[in-house]
Amino acid sequence: MRTLEPAIKKIWTIKLALFTGMTSLASLVFEAVRFFSDQPVLFVPGLLTGLIFLSGLSSTLAVPKLRYKFWKFDLRTEELYLERGILNRIRTIVPLRRIQHLDVSQNILEREFNLSKLIVHTAGSRSSDVVLPGLRMDEAERLRDDVKRYILEDAV
Amino acid sequence: MSSIDSFDEVQMLHPMTLIQRFLIAVPAFIVLLFPLLRSPQSSDYVSVVAVVIYGVLALPLIFLRYYRFRYRITRKEIIIQSGIINRQHRSIPIERIQNIEIEQSVLPRLFGTAKVKIETAGSAKTEGVLEFVSVDRAHQIREIVRSYQEDQKEPQAESGGEVALDGLPTQIEASRSPSRAHEEEEPLFAMSLGRVLLTGMLRFSLFYIAIAFSLIQQFNPDPNDIELWLTKGWLAPLAELAQASPWLFTIAGIIVAVSLSWVTGILVSLNRNYNFKIWLRDQKLHKHQGLLTLSQGTIPLKRIQALIFRANVLMRKLDWVAMEVQTMGLESSQRGHQIAMPLGKRAEAADVAQRLLPPFAIPDTFVSVSKLTIRRAMIRLTMLAAGVLLPLSYFWRPAIWGLFVILFIPWYAILRYRNHGYALDDEMLYVRRGVFRHYIWAIPVSKFQVLYTTASVFQRRLGLSSVYVDTAGAGGFATPEIIDIETSDAEHLVATCYRTFQESFSSSASTS
Repeated sequence: MRTLEPAIKKIWTIKLALFTGMTSLASLVFEAVRFFSDQPVLFVPGLLTGLIFLSGLSSTLAVPKLRYKFWKFDLRTEELYLERGILNRIRTIVPLRRIQHLDVSQNILEREFNLSKLIVHTAGSRSSDVVLPGLRMDEAERLRDDVKRYILEDAV
Repeated sequence: MSSIDSFDEVQMLHPMTLIQRFLIAVPAFIVLLFPLLRSPQSSDYVSVVAVVIYGVLALPLIFLRYYRFRYRITRKEIIIQSGIINRQHRSIPIERIQNIEIEQSVLPRLFGTAKVKIETAGSAKTEGVLEFVSVDRAHQIREIVRSYQEDQKEPQAESGGEVALDGLPTQIEASRSPSRAHEEEEPLFAMSLGRVLLTGMLRFSLFYIAIAFSLIQQFNPDPNDIELWLTKGWLAPLAELAQASPWLFTIAGIIVAVSLSWVTGILVSLNRNYNFKIWLRDQKLHKHQGLLTLSQGTIPLKRIQALIFRANVLMRKLDWVAMEVQTMGLESSQRGHQIAMPLGKRAEAADVAQRLLPPFAIPDTFVSVSKLTIRRAMIRLTMLAAGVLLPLSYFWRPAIWGLFVILFIPWYAILRYRNHGYALDDEMLYVRRGVFRHYIWAIPVSKFQVLYTTASVFQRRLGLSSVYVDTAGAGGFATPEIIDIETSDAEHLVATCYRTFQESFSSSASTS
């Protein structure tokens, strides 16, 4: 079983931190507007923002490590095997012969860390695309080519 | 009648299309003129101007749309050209066409025309629509596309045996009206009128009840209003009764709503399932149904991803069942599910299922999920009920009485457990689920897509997991997820599923 690139933890941390910052800011603005208006104060000023900020901060610190710890994958001869999830643990078997097409994609944050993700599309309906994040660009391309080779050989 | 060669030339739609489109445009005129019709004295120029503008724009558009529409069927593709300003040129490769559906609603039937919907494997939505062509033409299009597909598949079409023959052009010309061709075929399953009506009687759809209720709500705000509304006076005793005992009146209202919805269900079934018939030909399932709206379609057998059986409480008591086939890429409105049997006895359904998916055989025993699932369902539902009702009762006192529902949760959880199970043989995975409405999925091993094992925090504490086998075209409200089996069993089940899946390919590769 293989693990993701450790750098993915930084990306997840940045994403969570951004999200925490945005929601805290929104709640802060809401509370400030409410505080200076003549509407009655609902609860202790700053409580809502504080709660949002603290829970956001703790998940920013804890979630990436845990998520990384539980993310495992393996490209075997005939299937792609994925294991992930902190609370809800999900194990997925994607038979390679079921793969319709493959994408390697990279967003702006991932580009900064030279990471990318492999997206595997099947005809299934629950999630017609299975995403494998946190791969080095060359690694993602190699995986894609390996899978592609299998699909092409299998078709013949 | 046109010969086969004429399909290769550029075709136009049936001239009656024009008249039909004009007729369809008429209601819009009436809506626009509505203010004027209501009070003819008023000088409401706005609606007159709107009608004039609409007439100046819309009517020529109808003409233009008709005259600019062309289609052509060659051996390789169907070409549809349309568009008034922007010409659109669409080419649909013959080999990608999966289904040609012929639909006739009321208006087209009066004019002897039909709508032809061309569906392909690639996209969920209908790729091309010919609206409208004559009925004969529609059937010819279907036959010719089918024969082209046969030719492409095996260039030596003569050796294809008698099944391939009826797709040949000569046959099409011989049978002038192919619409009657299917009547000679022995149907796999057909519904008598009685059966059609029974289908409606047995379906207990909350949807129609909701409609009936909202109608009652509309017309029944206050008994006095009704009385005034129908102010002939003969309703007066009823209104008095309603005021005397509102409870009785409410119950009577519910009975009226339920029977209205019941009757609606019967009528809907009559319209939809009248003369329902399925039959097999060329490894395809053909379907024909409808009273006011006729529809016909085909499903290639190899496109069938799963069979789904469902039965509500009433149907189960009387040994009835409905069967759907799950297909990929067909009619998105049906969520990839097509009804193959609106109502049939269990044995009939099993027979038809056997013909559609030959390895099919409903297993005698299903493996039950873990008994712990009862406990989990009880805890979850009780929490849910409390979580919704307690805050609600803070705002609306009577909601607290809703907590009585908690008394029924154990019963629900036990029913849920009793009907939940799975069975796997070398060819198929069967999953059984449902509390009030029971479902059985029969999924051929070779149609598996992706296999999932999931375990939430609470499941892990009890050593449980859920297993889900994804198939193409699945979805909707109920899914064949196997919830709460012991983790070791789950692992074993997934491993066995996957092994059989792999074997189904290696064996088919070695035989062919």
